Amino acid sequence: MAALVRRRAEQRALRRAADGQRTEYLAFSLAGEIYAVEIHSIGEILKPPPITEVPRAASSIIGVVSVRGRLVTVIDLRKRFGVKDAPIGHLTRILLVDKGDEKLGLLVDEVLQVYRLTENEIEPANVLGGDQPAHIHGIGRPKEGTGRPDFGSLLVLLDLRPILDG
Amino acid sequence: MAEHGGGGRGDLGDKAREEFFSEAQELIDGLGRDLLAVDAVAKGGRTDPELINDVFRAVHTLKGLAGLFGATLMSGLSHELEDVLDDLRLGRLEMSPAVLDLLFRAVELYAQILAAERGDRPDEPGADVKALLHALGQVSQRREGGGVSPVAQYELDPGLLGVLTEYEEYRLRTNIAQGVSLFRIRVQFRLDTIDSALDELKARARPHGEIITYLPTGEGGDADSIELEILLASHASLSVLEAALGGSYAAIEEVQRRGARSKPPPPPISAVDEQEGEPFGDMTGAVPAITGETSSFPQAVPIPESKAGELPLPVVWGREPPTTGTTSTAPSEVPPPIPDFARISRGRPTDVDDILKSMPPPIPPVEKQPSYPPGAAVGGGGREMSLRSVSQTVRVDIRKLDHLMNIVGELAIVRTSLAKLSDKVRARPEARGLANELYRLHRVFERNLAQMQNGILEVRMVPLGQAFDKLARIVRQISREHDKQVNLVVTGAETEIDKLIVEELSDPLMHMIRNAIDHGIEPREERMRVGKPTVGTIALNAFQKGNHVVIEVEDDGAGMNTQVLINSAVRRGLLTREQAMELAPHEILGLVFLPGFTTRGEATDLSGRGVGMDIVKTNISRMGGIIDISSEVGIGTKMTITLPITLAVISVLVIEIVGRTYAIPLASVEEAIVFDERDVRAVEDREVMNQRGRTLPICRLWKLFGLTHEGPPPPKRFVVIAAVGNRKLGFVVDRLVGQQDIVIKALGKSLSHVRGFAGATELGDQRVALVLDVAALVEEVLSGDGERLLEGRGAGALEMRTEGRLGDGRARA
Repeated sequence: MAALVRRRAEQRALRRAADGQRTEYLAFSLAGEIYAVEIHSIGEILKPPPITEVPRAASSIIGVVSVRGRLVTVIDLRKRFGVKDAPIGHLTRILLVDKGDEKLGLLVDEVLQVYRLTENEIEPANVLGGDQPAHIHGIGRPKEGTGRPDFGSLLVLLDLRPILDG
Repeated sequence: MAEHGGGGRGDLGDKAREEFFSEAQELIDGLGRDLLAVDAVAKGGRTDPELINDVFRAVHTLKGLAGLFGATLMSGLSHELEDVLDDLRLGRLEMSPAVLDLLFRAVELYAQILAAERGDRPDEPGADVKALLHALGQVSQRREGGGVSPVAQYELDPGLLGVLTEYEEYRLRTNIAQGVSLFRIRVQFRLDTIDSALDELKARARPHGEIITYLPTGEGGDADSIELEILLASHASLSVLEAALGGSYAAIEEVQRRGARSKPPPPPISAVDEQEGEPFGDMTGAVPAITGETSSFPQAVPIPESKAGELPLPVVWGREPPTTGTTSTAPSEVPPPIPDFARISRGRPTDVDDILKSMPPPIPPVEKQPSYPPGAAVGGGGREMSLRSVSQTVRVDIRKLDHLMNIVGELAIVRTSLAKLSDKVRARPEARGLANELYRLHRVFERNLAQMQNGILEVRMVPLGQAFDKLARIVRQISREHDKQVNLVVTGAETEIDKLIVEELSDPLMHMIRNAIDHGIEPREERMRVGKPTVGTIALNAFQKGNHVVIEVEDDGAGMNTQVLINSAVRRGLLTREQAMELAPHEILGLVFLPGFTTRGEATDLSGRGVGMDIVKTNISRMGGIIDISSEVGIGTKMTITLPITLAVISVLVIEIVGRTYAIPLASVEEAIVFDERDVRAVEDREVMNQRGRTLPICRLWKLFGLTHEGPPPPKRFVVIAAVGNRKLGFVVDRLVGQQDIVIKALGKSLSHVRGFAGATELGDQRVALVLDVAALVEEVLSGDGERLLEGRGAGALEMRTEGRLGDGRARA
């Protein structure tokens, strides 16, 4: 047992040394797709508290919540991406992101795992064809096991800026 | 929230810089107040050297501060100002309106430089400063030569004259030129108390005149005491001075004029002086004069010798004011009530007002100077020198108060939960003892929390005078630029309001006053033609009304001509002639709040660019306030702003609509009554109901908010009657939940375009409830026409209303 732990630690150290430039991405699922955003842009992952809807707000704004006394506007990513609504379930999470002048929450179906991608594991968005939405900045193809074979291993890497501004 | 907690431990450099900003800001504000006082005195045809000295000191301090923080533009400006002020106080330069203009301009530029330093403005007003420096330079070159010295007329010791500083000499000359008598006072001081004793003497002398200088006589003293000769210029008679200065320890004599009979004395010399002019014509300064007037007065003062180690008697100028020794003064010579200067100069915060009042001729009631809380008096403060700080105040960043208020808000949530818990426990008969204890604790907690909340709120309150001061400057400047004479009459400057509101009020009020001068007050000839006083009046009134503060800006100008308003609006395409026909009178006046509205064909420097009133309205609405106009042609215009006293904590009525919880600020709730569908009538496309014989427009909030009832509507509904200004509206709601004090928080930027909500709050169970913006909703529902016009044009100004409610430094920071 002790030997096993040691070997794992050695492997990890080796891998880190071989890494060079790796970027950490947080992967989440939304309507059957796997998306990933750079992890440093995510402040916190929350279980959704009761959400208060704001009448007459943009349809993609699902409402406001209070996070330790601070108001956070929650955006429903399903609506923002124009896919079908889904009820909030026990796996639903809110990703807290900082937009500079305010904190926003992004409602996602499920948070999956963190991927550490090297440059050559990332393909630019134009591999999907010419007309890609601005919020997709690339495709991630992690070479290591995803741990979730059911989703395959293709990550849509998101650029949050256009999503938050939109 | 955590970021506020860290505020105290911030980088020292930043903290020092913050201090610099607030100190410089205070100095600049104080400078403005001092200049207004100088202006007021100058209008009376005089100058007060002390006031100019105050201005000089403020500028000097600013220069030092600016140097310390590398604000070169500011220190450069200060340097040049110092030169001009020095000339002014030395009398080399006359205090003319033109010079005052430059000084006021400097205050403005100071503020701009400071804003730039702080990063609130993109650029420093370099070019403007350069222009001002040039103007100041020209002014200093036009200084007058020294006047012919009338000093020689007086029996003054040449030795004394020889050691006068330039300033003292100038003051001496000025006083003589004004026909003020000179007095020589000899006083013995104990060396160990001389500082305080001298200050006290100065304080007592000040109401009566000006101390030109004081010098040791070199006689009469021993090792522990010293005799000073004080030269005092005063209008008062000898006996009055004797009484005022506390008598027996001071020997006073009047300095005689050489050959007094040959030269007629300048007018205001008192009769007493005349009688005594002759017999002591060749007295020298060293020997005190004994006149008929002073003979009842022990003059060669025997100072009790006090040897070291002995119990010191209150030898000279003790702390207690003299209670005897004034009896020799004939009652008829007691001057009219003299302001208690000892009190003022004892180092307590001083009202500019008091100083003004103390000057002999009454100051024309141009600008009423508000009173300030301790510590706010800058420059105008204590005249005494003391290292001991005058103020007992501390400066606090308002964000720290916001942070505290946030904590109070969270505690309020705890309190609500406690109350619920207490109720639950009480429902159990077996736990009665526990329940009672819990209940008691809850009550104590509740009471202390309420006190704490009030305490923090009180700290946030500042007098409106802080905003009004700047306006007095603006009025002076604009009325001069525009060649209209305008009197600003201020009442209620002491009315207190939340600090954040005061800050946000300055600009709207400035716009309103600019408008009043430019559009309201008629040109002089026109005023004469219609028989109005040539000097126009703008009244700035503030008073508290319940939970609100009302501010009125009223002018006695031409008033607004509704036809002109309509024509201008139509010409600018803001509405069609047909739409205009349907407007009610007050709606016509409301046209001035539309973006792009102006009655001017061409923009002037002052106004008429069509920006202004819409921004005024937006800013006021953002603070949860409303603005109303009333106007009568030929009589004048009155704009009334109604604002909440504080933005931090408000009482709300919690209601439910279609299962959603909302909060309505209680300040705008008049009452809640049971709703009866049968009372509702439709007038045009609006619903109204009968409220005790009055017609009340109603609004079904769920319709407005686009919510639909699932299942049957509730059997019983309520109407919450909201009143904003003089407009009323009934909101139909499903359920009244109760009343609660809440801390209101701003909605995020991405919700800024959503109308009708002032913010949100937590109600205790982690749920967020939206707080209705009653003013905006009333506006939206009742003044639908104007708003729809705006929406059609896609104008953003009015939509900004709900953005970042001021109440919320917390959420913004």
